[in-house]
Amino acid sequence: MATTEERLRKIVDDNLEVEGRSTGAPIDLDRNFADAGVPSPDIVAFWKLVNEEFGVDISAEQFAELLTPRDLIAHLDAA
Amino acid sequence: MSAPVDAPWYRPFTATGSATVLHVDLAPHADREAEALERLNPEERERWERYPYSGPRRQFVLCRAALRAVLCEQLGCRSDVLAFPTSEHGKPWATVAGAPAPISFNVSHSGRHGLIAFAPEGRLGVDVEELVPRRNLELLMDGVLAEDERREVAATAEPERLRRFLRLWTMKEALLKAHGNGLLLDATTFEVPAAVRRGEPRGKLRLPQLPEVTWEVEDIGDEQFAAALAQEVDGEPGPDQAEPR
Repeated sequence: MATTEERLRKIVDDNLEVEGRSTGAPIDLDRNFADAGVPSPDIVAFWKLVNEEFGVDISAEQFAELLTPRDLIAHLDAA
Repeated sequence: MSAPVDAPWYRPFTATGSATVLHVDLAPHADREAEALERLNPEERERWERYPYSGPRRQFVLCRAALRAVLCEQLGCRSDVLAFPTSEHGKPWATVAGAPAPISFNVSHSGRHGLIAFAPEGRLGVDVEELVPRRNLELLMDGVLAEDERREVAATAEPERLRRFLRLWTMKEALLKAHGNGLLLDATTFEVPAAVRRGEPRGKLRLPQLPEVTWEVEDIGDEQFAAALAQEVDGEPGPDQAEPR
């Protein structure tokens, strides 16, 4: 059974297009995507894909307040 | 030591109302990036180093150095007294020797294109998106478009569908950036005016989250990218700022 972090990394690897990021590169769990320079369309796509993958309904506002991947993992694991 | 850069990597792009917009060439260019890095202050260089990926790092250094150059010219100040605090939601504003500067600005970048908008007053936002295929277009439409907008874009055949979607996306992003709360506002809760969706280049609207303010959005895209400028109408003179952190 894949961990929440592994499932998130697969979404990132399959969908985020950031120049200079190689597939499989680790995600910095303590830095939000905007601060890492991830383009806003990729952030919106990630938000929608997380909702699909985990069967949750995190709103745009809630997602913006989950500042880092670590925060998001904690939220998903508690759901 | 890199070779000197013989021309700026930014140029005037358009002017509309009280706002001026510059285009920043973000194509990989080691000499430009080296020169741009020398123009940043120590905090900005630390931020540059922290970017984990090469694309965002290059976009930041080239845009920030261009922003410094143009604001120093507009404000008549030295670069070393210019600083960029950020609002609670991350929107930067300018200070000169610690005092709020009388200028509004906003920056956006996508791929090889950066845009810097500035105006003497009122909140403004700018957004640019390169016209390149997006692998999650349906998801993006679902994430940011209101119902009528989504239906109209979905009924449009490719390749016009991508352009039509990104035109709406950049207008909404520019509005959210002008507002200052970024993604904290759900873009599906408001619509770009119908006349603008039908092709008018500009139009006015209000956001349900801030109904007392009127905004004007304008399509400033070209054949390479979709882009939009959003400005507060009848904005108060002074800096585009929220409370500093």
